[in-house]
Amino acid sequence: MPDAPANGVCLAIEGLTKRFGGFYALNDLHMQVATGHIHALIGPNGAGKTTFFNLVTGVLPADTGRILFEGKLVDDARPSKRTLRGIARTFQNIRLFPHLSVLETVMIGAHCRAFPSVVAALGKAVLQPPFGEAGEERTMRDRAIELLAFFGLAERQDAKASDLPYGDQRKLEMARALATEPRLLLLDEPAAGMNPHETLELDETIKKIRDRGVTVVLVEHDMRLVMEISDRITVLNFGTRIADGVPGEIQSNPAVIEAYLGEDVKL
Amino acid sequence: MIFQQLINGLMLGASYALVAIGYTLIFGVLKLLYFAHGEVFMVGAFVGLYLVILGHANIYVALIGAMIACGLLGIIAVYVSVRPVPKDRPLAPLISTIGLTIILQNLAVYMFGGQQMAFPETIRQELYHLGPVTISSVQIFILAIAITLMLVLWLFIEHSKTGRAIRATAENHETAALLGVDVNRVVLITFVIGSGIAGVAGVLDGIKNSGVSPFMGLGAAVKGLIVMLLGGLGNVPGAMVAGLMLGMIEILSAAYIGTTERDFFSFLILILILLYKPTGLFGTRTIEER
Amino acid sequence: MFEGLLDGYTRSLLIFAGINVIAAYSFYAPFKTGQVSLGQAGFMAVGAYASAILTQKFGIPFAAALIFGGVVGGIVGVAVGFPALRIKGIYLLLLTLGFAEIISVIVLSWDYVGGAQGFRKIPFNRYTLDYVIAIIAVLLVLFARLERSSLGRAMDSIHQDETAAEAMGIDVVRIKLLAFGLGAMIAGLAGALYAHHATFMDSTTFNVMMGVEILMFVVVGGGSTFLGPLVGAAVLNIIPEILRALRDWLELLPVAWTNFYPMNRVYDFLHDFLDFENAKRLIAYGVILIIMMIVRPDGLLTRDGLRRLSPARWKLKHA
Repeated sequence: MPDAPANGVCLAIEGLTKRFGGFYALNDLHMQVATGHIHALIGPNGAGKTTFFNLVTGVLPADTGRILFEGKLVDDARPSKRTLRGIARTFQNIRLFPHLSVLETVMIGAHCRAFPSVVAALGKAVLQPPFGEAGEERTMRDRAIELLAFFGLAERQDAKASDLPYGDQRKLEMARALATEPRLLLLDEPAAGMNPHETLELDETIKKIRDRGVTVVLVEHDMRLVMEISDRITVLNFGTRIADGVPGEIQSNPAVIEAYLGEDVKL
Repeated sequence: MIFQQLINGLMLGASYALVAIGYTLIFGVLKLLYFAHGEVFMVGAFVGLYLVILGHANIYVALIGAMIACGLLGIIAVYVSVRPVPKDRPLAPLISTIGLTIILQNLAVYMFGGQQMAFPETIRQELYHLGPVTISSVQIFILAIAITLMLVLWLFIEHSKTGRAIRATAENHETAALLGVDVNRVVLITFVIGSGIAGVAGVLDGIKNSGVSPFMGLGAAVKGLIVMLLGGLGNVPGAMVAGLMLGMIEILSAAYIGTTERDFFSFLILILILLYKPTGLFGTRTIEER
Repeated sequence: MFEGLLDGYTRSLLIFAGINVIAAYSFYAPFKTGQVSLGQAGFMAVGAYASAILTQKFGIPFAAALIFGGVVGGIVGVAVGFPALRIKGIYLLLLTLGFAEIISVIVLSWDYVGGAQGFRKIPFNRYTLDYVIAIIAVLLVLFARLERSSLGRAMDSIHQDETAAEAMGIDVVRIKLLAFGLGAMIAGLAGALYAHHATFMDSTTFNVMMGVEILMFVVVGGGSTFLGPLVGAAVLNIIPEILRALRDWLELLPVAWTNFYPMNRVYDFLHDFLDFENAKRLIAYGVILIIMMIVRPDGLLTRDGLRRLSPARWKLKHA
């Protein structure tokens, strides 16, 4: 298990705000994700949850507020730099590489660890032995296969990523993200489009990811999943935090119940 | 002197505008860079030329003949190089229209030789003096036709049922189809209109320059692209205004800075717009990105 | 090399075809990351003029001037590559096109390199064919290796989904710049080679059509595999020559076969159509392009197609 900072806070959000025109996607959000936790972010639709991920990963700049990862300020302008720090994500509408194989997809995730410098990557590309596999290539491939096995996708490694069934594509996205060796994994609606059997499987998968030493933050609508596996839950409504606590507290919180009134959700 | 240049600028600009209209209409509706559009312009000029020379037609017949011929060419283009080619690979339709460009240009060279051909006088040349400005009947004619055409088209696009269908298709094919628009037919109509107008522009250009050449298409194509971008991709009124602007800028910079540098400003504008205002001066009207 | 084996015409043909192959790879490099550039002819011009200035004005030997041409091309490429980073699709096409046109205008108005008269009397390089072959060999090895490497995969991932690649820690900015600069450098080399074989160039030499043709080589040959640019450029350069050869063979047909109607009409038509004259052959070329895009829009060679042909798979299937 990798070293965690002394106070055990993996991700600290302080006063994070993001506006689009006059509309607040996130309004002065304060949140703390403990290391080794599975932390869920929920809220009625349009509550600003994907925006949160985009701010943490650096896709969008925040208007005000600070993001601290393992105690250090995160202000890299480019998402790839933040991934190098150890923050990885999946996407709400799956974004795989349409023409790569399953194995190649996961190896892409491993690239940034094997070749953090582009010059080194170019050098390796040019100087690799003409036949057989280079050392790093073998390491990346082995690691990728291990990850695929973890998700039960090892037999399909040569299949084209876009040929996989939907549930497997979601798993592939998670495998790819894990290949970047993150300490924080942001899952954007991992259960979307899954049937009840698959979401039960997802329970176990996310817990196993946590057991590998990865802190997990997930945005999700599936309340059963959220209540079952989360260590802590933060609830947003219209970009503002209305509740933060363990599942039991959230389920009986009147503000939360009211926010969800009219939504077809059983807390 | 400056008024003279302004008039020249308007004439050049009108030419650019008419070519750009077709370009931007087609791009708006298909997100396709219809490279062969410049050659359609050239074909129109030659059709007009031959109607005048061989058919002894008057200029109006020549204009209408060119419009019809190019409209037909638009239909052929759709069936030959647009419809059969799969759209999900963005470069394939571009290449097939390039193939069409090569065919048209070399067909012209084959039939007419590679030289410039003179366009005979069809309008009695008379000069009118309005204060400091001298304007010829030819120039008045060209401007009148161009502006009329642009006005008619603008009314058509903004206020007619088909015009609305075109605009709906430009925004989103699926939504338009749901609203009952026959997208394929709209694409065809767009090509016909755009090509027809380019044909007229070709004849007007032949009159203005007193000559046509099989190679006049490429320059028109490139300038048309710049105007299209300047006015906003898919934005027909934008293309009209932008065309006139670009014509003026080119003539004025040629007059006051130097003829060889005249194109420099056009391309500089192209690059600046791309970097700082890619939606053009007046905003785009085309299929939204994912 | 090959001094005695080739006549002047074939030699020149091979040289121009070879330069086109190199130009095709100059397009392929940025294309691998999803950047479609219509401006590679402009980078060719940069390399051509930079190298010709060194040889003609300063008497510097060709080899050094060639490298200089490539380096200058690469530097200009990185400079253009920066603004190109955040532009995609048709906008990038137009940006690169605009760049190439501006280079044309600069060359036209710069009297030091000949202005409107053009750059004349560039020192002729006797060994152009050798240089061309050597450079193509290097490029083939480079791009073959790239395709098998992690960097090559990273470039493909940027092409297929730039946002996802960035999120996975791929240094998209540096890789795109590298690809763009590399492409421009290769184009610079091609331009330098051209200039010292043709010995003359002006503002119309490296024009829009050339930029378009370079794009065509890769799209027709197949943009997903490192062999695509080679095959595309070779095929498209050879087609006009094949058509010419067809005409020569046509003339070899026994007179008796074509003396009577309708065969004599068919013969006349074909003979006329395949005439040496440029225009008709180009019409055929245009027709072939359209047919190709209808029938095989992914290009002649595809990576999947090649994989299916690989010896390993054959062994598996027929073991």
